Amino acid sequence: MRLKTKLSLFNLLSKLIFTALFIILMPWIIQRINLRHIDNELIQKREQVISIISDIGIEPFITSDTADAYGSYNILKEEFVSIEMVDLDEDWNFIEVTPRLIEGEEIDYRVLYYSLMIDGQTYLLEVGKSLQSILHTENLIKKVMLLFLVFIIIITFFTDTQYNLLLLRPLDKIKKKLKRISDPSLFDRDPVKTSTSDFQRLDGALIGLMDHINLLFQKEKEITINISHELLTPVSILRSKLENLLLREDLEEDIQNKIEESLKTVHRLQSLVNSLLMIARIESHQFLREDSFSVKEVLDEIAGEIEPVAEDAGVLIKQEMEDDLEYKDANRSLIFSMFYNVVNNAVKNTPAKGEVRISCNKKPGQFIIKISDTGKGITEEQKSKLFLRFKMRDKNSGDGTGIGLAIAKTIADFHEISIEVHSEPGSGTKFSFIFPLIS
Amino acid sequence: MNILIVEDEKSLAGEIAEFLKSENFLCELAYTGTEASEKIAVNLYDFVLLDLGLPDYDGLDLISEARNNNSEVSFIIITARGAVEDRVKGLDLGADDYLAKPFALPELLSRINAVARRKFKISNPDIVLGDFIINAQSRRVLCNDNEVELTKKEYDLIQYLVLNKNRVLTRQQLYEHIWGNILDDQYDSNFIDVHIKNLRKKLNNHAPTPWLETVRGVGYRISTEEQ
Repeated sequence: MRLKTKLSLFNLLSKLIFTALFIILMPWIIQRINLRHIDNELIQKREQVISIISDIGIEPFITSDTADAYGSYNILKEEFVSIEMVDLDEDWNFIEVTPRLIEGEEIDYRVLYYSLMIDGQTYLLEVGKSLQSILHTENLIKKVMLLFLVFIIIITFFTDTQYNLLLLRPLDKIKKKLKRISDPSLFDRDPVKTSTSDFQRLDGALIGLMDHINLLFQKEKEITINISHELLTPVSILRSKLENLLLREDLEEDIQNKIEESLKTVHRLQSLVNSLLMIARIESHQFLREDSFSVKEVLDEIAGEIEPVAEDAGVLIKQEMEDDLEYKDANRSLIFSMFYNVVNNAVKNTPAKGEVRISCNKKPGQFIIKISDTGKGITEEQKSKLFLRFKMRDKNSGDGTGIGLAIAKTIADFHEISIEVHSEPGSGTKFSFIFPLIS
Repeated sequence: MNILIVEDEKSLAGEIAEFLKSENFLCELAYTGTEASEKIAVNLYDFVLLDLGLPDYDGLDLISEARNNNSEVSFIIITARGAVEDRVKGLDLGADDYLAKPFALPELLSRINAVARRKFKISNPDIVLGDFIINAQSRRVLCNDNEVELTKKEYDLIQYLVLNKNRVLTRQQLYEHIWGNILDDQYDSNFIDVHIKNLRKKLNNHAPTPWLETVRGVGYRISTEEQ
């Protein structure tokens, strides 16, 4: 799962849990707050009543008319104050909820009970407040808060998600930088712009790592190049000696043949070293990419070169190039080599009366060259080894060293051309060269 | 013609000298850059075969030195360091050609010949082979005033064989001459056989070609000696 998805999910989940908790706890909290508020009010009222009594005495409230009790409700029966004479064993001072029957309707009141001693007589003071209006307010508050909560959650979810996206954008950029390269030397060394130090460090570490790998690769290539040079000098001496020997006029035929065979072997050695040298040179970018040319022309030239041999072998080279690509910033002789290797390979692998087809296909953003043959095809296993150096060497394939396709692949990589191979044993092989088009 | 071979590998220098002497060139050898520098300053050479990888000298400096002294000597660079920039630098400094090691000795002869023709305006005389006349100036092959239509590669083949007449050339040597080194790996002896076959067919339509010999197991030869 992607990091931003995870973050968003976590974000949503934590908010939901938080809301659920709040919804569960809210009634209790609101109730507590309300009761406390009411209780304070009741205590305040009690103090007011006590101060009135101390001012004017208890007599105005307790008269014989009122039968030792006084009670006062406000009009809507929301509050009441009552005083009555009682006999109590202990002092009362508490608050509780008591239902009262008023005009046939039972209403919950929060009532403060307080006992007073006036002139040796105990009076019970009750101050009450109806809970009905409070319950109503409570419900209203709950609704408003719930709405507010939902609103807040939606708003914060979206802002958080957006912020996460913004925050993670450098990570996406770093990921893209890694994704589009096929070789460490192509890694974009420009640091990704970000104020997040973690990403700066990650990017820096990657750039450092790539530099290090590049250095190692470069060293490896240099070693290959140096060894190749060292090998070419003795090969050169051997070759010249054998060539001079072959020019002697008094040679017997079998000796002449042996010299020629030795020359062939020397040539194979030379060819191997040169091929390795070529791959190392391409990989270390010693070739320039500054030619502009028509791909069709290159293929025409190759077909022309190979035609006589193909004809001799009874293989038809069919050119069906209906389109052309003006290829820019490329190395013509390398591209020539790449196609030459593949076409020549196709001709070699096609039996008499077979054909090798060269065609093309233009798609948006892509130009594809297809080279297919009607040869015996290759198996999946052979296909996986096709571009590996020396792996495809077939003992009967003649004088090649089996490195031709590896060179073709190296050249393709150098030009960012991708090669696809389709093959079924018995029905031939098709190579597709996909040229990226930059519009 | 006078040729100075500058090559620190004595064995290779010796082989090149042996080959060029058989072609009637006068050869001198220099195994170090200092030795070469002195020899170029004192003697008049037509050609210097220059190995760039000398132990005591950057070979390219020899070219600059010679050019500064207004020497008109032609340089042909022979080196195992086939890097593109070396080649470009060498040619920029005024080298006349560039051969990557290992090269075929007949190929060296062909390059010397090409430079000589271009620079000293030495024209190759028409070669008469049986009923055919090969004209190097117009790159044409004539038979009783009729032109034999040849492809570029077929003409190159016949010209290379003529230049090395009476000497057997292997298929590899012929292949390298025609296709160069970039396709090294695709060397296929069949290529040369096919082209020679086609060439023979075209020539035989005009007149027999007993002078174009197949040397069994080795290669091909143009023989101008009386059969």
